[in-house]
Amino acid sequence: MLDHLTLMSLDALLIAVFFSFLWKRDRHERWPYFWKVFAALLLGAVALGWLMYPFPRG
Amino acid sequence: MPEAGGPRETRLGRRLPLPVLMLLAWLVPGLGHLLLGRRLRAAIFCAVIVVAFAVGLTFDGELILPHAGDPLSYLAAIASIGNGVLFFVARHFGLGQGVVTAAGYEYGNTFLLTAGMMNLLLILDTHDIGVGKKDW
Repeated sequence: MLDHLTLMSLDALLIAVFFSFLWKRDRHERWPYFWKVFAALLLGAVALGWLMYPFPRG
Repeated sequence: MPEAGGPRETRLGRRLPLPVLMLLAWLVPGLGHLLLGRRLRAAIFCAVIVVAFAVGLTFDGELILPHAGDPLSYLAAIASIGNGVLFFVARHFGLGQGVVTAAGYEYGNTFLLTAGMMNLLLILDTHDIGVGKKDW
């Protein structure tokens, strides 16, 4: 069983690759876009986790 | 700069009506792009979607079908069926039933739904290329 961060990173990686090839024409545009999407997904998830931290479940 | 070698639309891709191309794009991830000559992108899209789908099944995710009285399940079903032939093959072999108690269940669902939604976006991209709105 992979840990949460690894699975989240794998999902972010696949999505970032997908969108960089979907939206960007060539590799010079794709790389910066890939890193932007990848970082946004990872950091966004971590930030959201921190924001939700004060709210108890149930 | 376009893909190496430039887009080379296949003869079949030229002959097929756009709705058929879109149907094929849905059935087999990347096939629409392949027929329209976008070979590199077809291969990448196919690989990404198949990997996401396989990871989803490995982690006991569920290929969600509509449940009466659960409106969100209809949206999830659209995403699941968006996987095209992968969905039907997995269902045929009894995969993707979902093990709610499994540790990876939610992750599995996330990967399966992500794969389906990405494939649905490919249908729209195939349309845009087919009508000439996107020339690469």
